[in-house]
Amino acid sequence: MSMVAVGVVSFLAMVLFMLLGMPIATVMLLLAVVGGMAAFGEAFLISGASVLWGTMSENGLTSIPLFVLLGELLLRSGMADRMYQAFAAWLGRLPGGLLHTNIGCCALFAATSGSSVATAATIGTVALPSLQRHGYPMSASLGSLAAGGTLGILIPPSVNMIIYGSMTNNSVGKLFIAGIIPGLLLTGCFMLYIYIMAKTTGLNVVHDPVPLKERLRLLVNITQPVVIFAIVMGSLYAGIATATESAALGVVVALAFIGFSGKLTTTLMQACFLSSARTTGMILLITTAAFVLNLALSLTGIGEALTKWVTSFGLSKTALLLALILFYLLLGMFMDTLSMMVATIPLTYPIVTAVGVDPIWFGIFIIIMCELGLITPPVGMNLFVVQGIRPDEGSVGDVIRGAFPYAIIMILFTFLLMAFPQIVTFLPENM
Amino acid sequence: MKNLEKVAATLFGVVFVLLSFAVAVETTMRKVFNVSLQGVDELGGYALAVGASLAFTLALLSRAHIRIDLIHDHLPQGPRMVLNVLAMLTITATALLFMAMAFYSLRDSIVLNSTAQTPWATPIKYPQMVWFACLALFAAVASGYGVRVLWLAFTGRGDVLVRDYSPRGAKEELKEELDDAKARGVDVAALPGKAK
Repeated sequence: MSMVAVGVVSFLAMVLFMLLGMPIATVMLLLAVVGGMAAFGEAFLISGASVLWGTMSENGLTSIPLFVLLGELLLRSGMADRMYQAFAAWLGRLPGGLLHTNIGCCALFAATSGSSVATAATIGTVALPSLQRHGYPMSASLGSLAAGGTLGILIPPSVNMIIYGSMTNNSVGKLFIAGIIPGLLLTGCFMLYIYIMAKTTGLNVVHDPVPLKERLRLLVNITQPVVIFAIVMGSLYAGIATATESAALGVVVALAFIGFSGKLTTTLMQACFLSSARTTGMILLITTAAFVLNLALSLTGIGEALTKWVTSFGLSKTALLLALILFYLLLGMFMDTLSMMVATIPLTYPIVTAVGVDPIWFGIFIIIMCELGLITPPVGMNLFVVQGIRPDEGSVGDVIRGAFPYAIIMILFTFLLMAFPQIVTFLPENM
Repeated sequence: MKNLEKVAATLFGVVFVLLSFAVAVETTMRKVFNVSLQGVDELGGYALAVGASLAFTLALLSRAHIRIDLIHDHLPQGPRMVLNVLAMLTITATALLFMAMAFYSLRDSIVLNSTAQTPWATPIKYPQMVWFACLALFAAVASGYGVRVLWLAFTGRGDVLVRDYSPRGAKEELKEELDDAKARGVDVAALPGKAK
């Protein structure tokens, strides 16, 4: 059996075991160890041991628990909850009303919280009863929340970007900076769609104007998250701090804000610690397993054989990326997005870089594919989260219909990035 | 288990809060006063090794390690029970494998008397001992779970296997987030403006 066949069969077996409900991390690790030991015996375990220590003591990955902790502090201290009021006051009068608030609030919330479920749960809890009371169509409301929640992994800081950077040896700082323009543009595209949809379908929910004084007063609610975001991203962009250092600065400033507001209690800290530890454990077990899988692919030569095989077809960059959009679209329908990312990067990254795709650009591409996976049925995490919060008894079909236009927007947006890669590469090239 | 969870989570949190302060002080001193506290980077790496190993156990205790429930949730109890046993046994195997690999690393560091390539030149065996101990805890808890699922399977307790060891789906995660949101008083009462 050729190396290519071994690679393809192993990949299909891995996906099958994952779909059967085996833990993602263990499937990747055990497959890597079985394959590695079949080829090299106990020597593979010794090589794996140094990869294990190297990965688990890699200072760059320390940013993961720190960013997760930062998100938990902002979420559980209620700092993020209060943002909705400010956004509602500023955006509620646009055609499409509170639907813009959903997107805007999710975007800023997402910038500070890494959890898609927490974002959708918090914003949804605040927004949905109000949207229902004001007569917004339920499908459009749910769709905007499900889609808004996906922005979290594109707008930095993003744990997915840290993992991509570590697995491919690319600068996490550059990836964060690269995510800013696409993140803002995609947010703008979502809001433009809501504006057009509101105009064309006659969605006419107009809210009373909020006096300027009141709107300015409410801005205080977004000051703290914005200051934290500015410190984290500003220190990175100015080259003052690495991703880990910027995360640490964010945690310290968040603790100071919470302390000044008198909410720094043992109960709050324990809730944040437990939740961050669970999330970190889940993310890092998968990441560590992916590093061992990477080792097996490179030592056995499977990765190189697959790269040579795919490039031998002579596909152009565009054709290859179009094929990858289809590949990720299909995979994202059935797989959890983080798992999809770490399981495929060792295979797809060498292939795309071999045909000359910019590694930072490809990172943003992968992140958008993950976002798409969050709202494509049957396994679209955000669809089910938003469905779980809705105050009425409708079917999940409403959420799927509501989110569908946003999935189309994301695919069109990816085409835009393919046509104008500078949207991604401009900022990192000018750091 | 609740006490273990609480102690491990507190340890995890304290490690990273202290690290954050150390890194923030180091970054500020380096940029403002041009003085560097050497070794904070190295400390960050050790904090991750210890924190992540503890976090593996905490994620296991709350069934947070990701499993896809697309097919699982639509199967009858028998196959679900089998899949849950297999899933738990693969986690046990992973934890034991990690412990074995950590042992290889530690053994080599002791034999070769390895030191970190940093200004501190820390003997690697010391942080690795703590790391190994945390992974041994992960292996012990996972093995306990492994033995329990086998016992439940042999004694025909399929209902418990399905209840306690099925994938933690979006619904369950969402319920926890909603409970937390309720507890911290998230509501809609204060939304400004009214619809016309």
